[in-house]
Amino acid sequence: MNLKELYQEIILEHGKNPRNLRKTEGFNKDAKGNNPLCGDNVHVYLKLNGQKIVEDASFEGSGCAISMASASIMTDLIKGKNEHEAKDIVEDFLGMIKENPELKSEHLNEDEKTKLMCLSGVKQYPMRVKCATLSWHTMVSAFDENNEEVKTEN
Amino acid sequence: MNIDQIKKEFPIFDEKIQNNDLVYLDSANSSQKPKVVVDRINEFYTKQFSNVGRSVHYLAVAATNLYENTRTSVQKYINAKDKNEIVFTKGATEALNLVANTLGQSYLHEGDEVLITELEHHSNYVPWHFLRKSKNIKINFAEINEEGEITLEEIEKKITPKTKLISITHLSNVTGAILPVKEITQLAHSKGIIVVVDGCQGAPHLKLDMQDLDCDFYAISCHKMYGPTGLGVLYGKKKWLEELPPYQGGGGMINEVKKDMISYGELPNKYEAGTMATAQVIAFDQSIKFLESIGIENVMKHEADLVEYGQELLQKNNSVKLIGNPKNKGGVLSFTIEGVHPHDIATILDEDGVAIRAGHHCCQILHDKLNIPASARASVGIYNTKEDLDQLNQSINNCKKIFNL
Ligand SMILES: Cc1ncc(COP(=O)(O)O)c(C=O)c1O
Repeated sequence: MNLKELYQEIILEHGKNPRNLRKTEGFNKDAKGNNPLCGDNVHVYLKLNGQKIVEDASFEGSGCAISMASASIMTDLIKGKNEHEAKDIVEDFLGMIKENPELKSEHLNEDEKTKLMCLSGVKQYPMRVKCATLSWHTMVSAFDENNEEVKTEN
Repeated sequence: MNIDQIKKEFPIFDEKIQNNDLVYLDSANSSQKPKVVVDRINEFYTKQFSNVGRSVHYLAVAATNLYENTRTSVQKYINAKDKNEIVFTKGATEALNLVANTLGQSYLHEGDEVLITELEHHSNYVPWHFLRKSKNIKINFAEINEEGEITLEEIEKKITPKTKLISITHLSNVTGAILPVKEITQLAHSKGIIVVVDGCQGAPHLKLDMQDLDCDFYAISCHKMYGPTGLGVLYGKKKWLEELPPYQGGGGMINEVKKDMISYGELPNKYEAGTMATAQVIAFDQSIKFLESIGIENVMKHEADLVEYGQELLQKNNSVKLIGNPKNKGGVLSFTIEGVHPHDIATILDEDGVAIRAGHHCCQILHDKLNIPASARASVGIYNTKEDLDQLNQSINNCKKIFNL
């Protein structure tokens, strides 16, 4: 177990100054997520253009450094991707957080992969995996226009 | 009193937890178990096991006697008037649900008001909410003051002519405030209002005397009292338990069962339907003996010293903000650190073997009131020492370092 791996500089920085912590004006997709165990919550907003490409992504909510950093990095790198690409990235990310040693999605460039890998330290902390994944599940729910609030699986 | 000696009675402290000595500061959540309790469960299952109250064979009679012995021990420990005022449940949660459910069936009616407080654990709010839904009763909340206390005056202010029942915690599991339960009960009874006490945090840490407190119901969680999980106690005044309808139906709680009629058993069987947590009940007798061997006055003194020490330590630690500052306070230190979320605090402390709880501690109403989503909570038990609190403080400092504070 290594706290340094969990709390890398980049996580602390994103946790402290989350990008896209706001509500996208004119969003056309959104969903809420909630972690009933700890009361953390997130609201993800997406704005897709005519070509179904994410023009803007943002989130509101409060949570630990891990969940804030995860939502911050996610909303940053999802911009410019279409739904199919975005979901491929989500799947890749969730796989990495749970077991895979690395990211494989062809829709991520090296820089994006490096950033996401900063969250891989969470793997060693099973109780914290849901902190890292809540915003991702919530984003999928926004794409799917699922009107139900996302709850973290235990 | 020798704490090192007492600590040795808890086998878990011989374990290394991720290579660390365990600094267990989560007793408000659940306490560790002394060896006598663990051994008793083992012994019962290996040498004495039988179901209670059903058969006439030797083991069944012996087990029934052991089971009933614990009831008598609990009665004495909390100074209840009658053995039949002690009902075993699966936990304090079930005890509170039993009270709300049976009062809801027969005593509370549409428009009646139940007064609870902003300090309540979800298990002393949700069961009343069920009645709000099913019977249209109203729930009022007594509000905390600046120090995180509920005063007698506040309770008095919130009582209306429609208040039929007051349900309050004895000791807050977040701010540590000890409520003036006896005074509140006197006031309530003078107005014909019944009083339910969530005694989860009171029972392990305070001297209990039901006849002196005079409340109508008192819920206890055995796993917070150095006892087994899956067990709680409901104390209820005999006149209530006799008068109220049964809660769950099944074996053991009946008198006579016919195709067209059923009559119910006497106390305490009336509220103990089905096979109970037999081994846990029998082992809980050892928890009470353990507490009695130390003496509750000694427990209270030791924990008060610890809290005072811990409070001072954390007050001096800048960026740590303690939640609540009640005059009369039990062994709970809830806090936040500006710039570090409680979950991150708990993860970092865990790395040093310091076990605390982070979250809303099943008190979302209180956290909303305080305008924080979550808090970190260190809580003490009889086995804790000042060194544990020093380690807590040191690990908090490590946390600040990691977050560049
Ligand atoms: C104040 C309070 N009430 C109720 C409960 C629930 O008790 P139990 O776990 O026995 O159901 C707890 C414990 O979490 C508590 O701290």
